[in-house]
Amino acid sequence: MVELKHVSVTYESTGVEALSDVNLTVEDGEFAFVIGRSGAGKSTLIKLLLKEIDANSGEVRVNGYNLTKMKKRKVPEFRRTIGVVFQDYRLIDTMTVYENIAFVLRVIDAPMKLIRKRVPYVISLVGLEGKADSYPSELSGGEQQRCALARALVNDPELLIADEPTGNVDPELAYELVELLQGINVCGTTILMVTHAHEMVRHFGGRIINISQGEVVFDEVIGGTDVEVE
Amino acid sequence: MKLSSFRYLVGQGFDNVWKNRVMAFASFCVLLVSLLLVGISVLLFININAIIGGIENKNEVIVYLLDGTTDAQITEIGDTLNAMENVSNVTLYTKEEAFEDLKQDMSGYTEVFDSLGDDNPLPDAYRIRVNDISQMEATVAAAEALDSVEYVSAPDSFVDILTEARRMFSIVAAIIIIALLIVSMVIISNATRASVFARRREISIMQSVGATNAFIRFPFFIEGMVYGFLAGSCAALMTWFSYDSLFELLSNFDALSAIGLGNIISYDTIAIPVTLTYVIAGSLIGALGSVLSTRAHLKYRAANM
Repeated sequence: MVELKHVSVTYESTGVEALSDVNLTVEDGEFAFVIGRSGAGKSTLIKLLLKEIDANSGEVRVNGYNLTKMKKRKVPEFRRTIGVVFQDYRLIDTMTVYENIAFVLRVIDAPMKLIRKRVPYVISLVGLEGKADSYPSELSGGEQQRCALARALVNDPELLIADEPTGNVDPELAYELVELLQGINVCGTTILMVTHAHEMVRHFGGRIINISQGEVVFDEVIGGTDVEVE
Repeated sequence: MKLSSFRYLVGQGFDNVWKNRVMAFASFCVLLVSLLLVGISVLLFININAIIGGIENKNEVIVYLLDGTTDAQITEIGDTLNAMENVSNVTLYTKEEAFEDLKQDMSGYTEVFDSLGDDNPLPDAYRIRVNDISQMEATVAAAEALDSVEYVSAPDSFVDILTEARRMFSIVAAIIIIALLIVSMVIISNATRASVFARRREISIMQSVGATNAFIRFPFFIEGMVYGFLAGSCAALMTWFSYDSLFELLSNFDALSAIGLGNIISYDTIAIPVTLTYVIAGSLIGALGSVLSTRAHLKYRAANM
């Protein structure tokens, strides 16, 4: 569960108020799109949820952790409850697909038996069978994206944050990815997907959170248009 | 940490040396040059010290005894000299031996010696060596204070020059070695920092998936230790080869031993400590350099997130 109460963030270096008195709750098992223009505060929201930055005021709670009062040594433990898919995928170039995904389980000191079982499972879940030994540079954009998704899922996170995951792929692959995320959401994982693609959001529908100039200006559930992509 | 995780991280450290071979090679070269600079300076210092020590051993003090000193007194003086702390190698040089040596040295003046007949004008004497030439003055004074000692001959000016030379050399060598150590540490620190900076993306990914700082640092520690070990081993081999070649070359010049250069230490006698020092110092500097740079980077990231 994600809960923000009267959260404001101002960057000291520029004096820009990126988020202003934001109140937001995303319940367990929900799927929500976060939309908004560049500079609206979407990236700040993600950084806040990953405890990369701290709020100047207000309270942030994610997966039962109070981020406002969290000590530094607790941050790695908290991050292990979240899966993140970044726009630039952030795969480690010197590791194969298998190693990139297994790395998350290594970090939490998972038993080898679990790694051997879980990694091939998520690789097949995202449709990357046969690519396990490939390096990121040998993959297409869509394959890299799915590898990043597999890495985010391997630890069975309570919350999956996808930061513009469709930004670097063609529309067809983008729609496939959202369908994949919806499938994962059905299994109980809370999903927060940040995107610029308004048309795609209208197509799928669901909960839409629109951020503009650091404020939540729209937060409602809408029905999808179900228009097929050409 | 589980054994499997430990093995994984050690493996990652070794893998990273190969995967980041360009930066690893740069760090290796920097460490190698630094180790060689410091190592050669230290070896040079040790050898020059040994050479000065060799020259010191060649100096001799002669204690001349009064004419008419009895055999019992001569023996007593010899025992007293032997008992002195700073004195070694006490040898009696009788007036007869001295006279014979003088005759041989001045063989062209036989008529002078013939005119003396059985009269030997030379005194009995003791030849002694001092252990610490900086204490030469006190030792000479103690010998002069003995009964039946007429005069003590010591190479005072030579001793002063040698003592001053050793003191100056020690100061200069210490300054050079400390300066080289500082320069080496700065260069190594920058090289490892560049290596860590080149992998900042990898570090940020590790952090984003919940890796602890210790987990992130450990492979860097192993990686630094590996190239430090390799640089130390390589430095030991290069030093061995060049030192041995130089030693062989200098050994062929007999004239050098006459001026004390025969005291250069053979590599065989210092091979084990030199090799161990290189390898241990290389491994430690490599590992610490990597860990400190990674730590600084993680702190910087934490402060600038």
